[in-house]
Amino acid sequence: MHEQAQLRLKRGEVEKLGADVYVVLAMDLYRTRVFKEENLVLSTFKNPFTEEPSLVFGTALSDPAGYASALYGVSRKCLRGEAWVENDPCWFVIDRRGTLTCAYPPNFSSATFYEKDIDRVLDELRKAAHE
Amino acid sequence: MTYRSICVPLMLGTLLAISSSGRAEPPSPLDSYRNLKHPPTKENFNKGWQERVLVEFEIVNSADLGAVRAGLTDKDPFVRSIAARVLGIRGDEDSAEALAELVKTDPEAMVRVRAVESLGLLKLKPEAIELAKKDSSDAVQWVARMAAGQLKAETDFRELTQKAYAAGIKPDKLGVAKVGEPAPDFAALASDGRSFKLSTVLGKKPILLYFAAFDG
Repeated sequence: MHEQAQLRLKRGEVEKLGADVYVVLAMDLYRTRVFKEENLVLSTFKNPFTEEPSLVFGTALSDPAGYASALYGVSRKCLRGEAWVENDPCWFVIDRRGTLTCAYPPNFSSATFYEKDIDRVLDELRKAAHE
Repeated sequence: MTYRSICVPLMLGTLLAISSSGRAEPPSPLDSYRNLKHPPTKENFNKGWQERVLVEFEIVNSADLGAVRAGLTDKDPFVRSIAARVLGIRGDEDSAEALAELVKTDPEAMVRVRAVESLGLLKLKPEAIELAKKDSSDAVQWVARMAAGQLKAETDFRELTQKAYAAGIKPDKLGVAKVGEPAPDFAALASDGRSFKLSTVLGKKPILLYFAAFDG
């Protein structure tokens, strides 16, 4: 969810590039709705989006069997940490011609990893937008 | 553990796996899961996922229901876990009592997670779901909250999940996405319930696609 919150901060840039955002969850439709509609950021300190009901501005997609995740090589069907984690999170950038130009898995290496992740993904999106 | 206690069941199992024509029968989907080269442990996160995906599709779509029900009492927690998940997806209401029992008594959180998840899909046993909200595991508590929400919803999330599995998956499709190549198409449901196909938006504008874990 932190990746989504960070992307929310850069929403204007994404829209300026004319890009669509899709977030795929290997989960049933109910959980996908909760992911899309509830602000699940855990921090309780005052931040720009504390009052927003949702931080996910992209289209949230339910892929309950993990078919799309398997196609993109991120479905681990595994019990990593806890049992609900089905995917190895990963960003993909697709250009205007429909070609995959980047695959970038967040590495969760620090408390603020998501800032760099989103900067990197937006760099790649800019390139894809201008191709 | 004696030599006899190990060898007799093994020999018996081998005999049972040989059909009347004398040919060895393929292992059942649940046995395939039990004997995965890389079981779904943390250590195997990046290993053998393709096999786990294929076997899971097979169990959901074609495993004998009686064998899956028997899997709920298997000594292997991974087998109990997959059995609990599959019975929910397949809509086996006769297993609700056994699933509720797992929610209350199974020592492994991963099994309780799958059992309570399935009760949510089946929309049965609200008292077991309520109990799971106070489970010692955060994961079970969280899934119980989701299951409780499903109980009240009109949508049949189970049917949608089963339909997604029924479409099947071919081995040569696994991990087919490659940088520099066309993005593979897939179908999914948007959170508002609308059908979505990636190919309807490809080639029109740049796209950011994120495969998320619920907390990531």
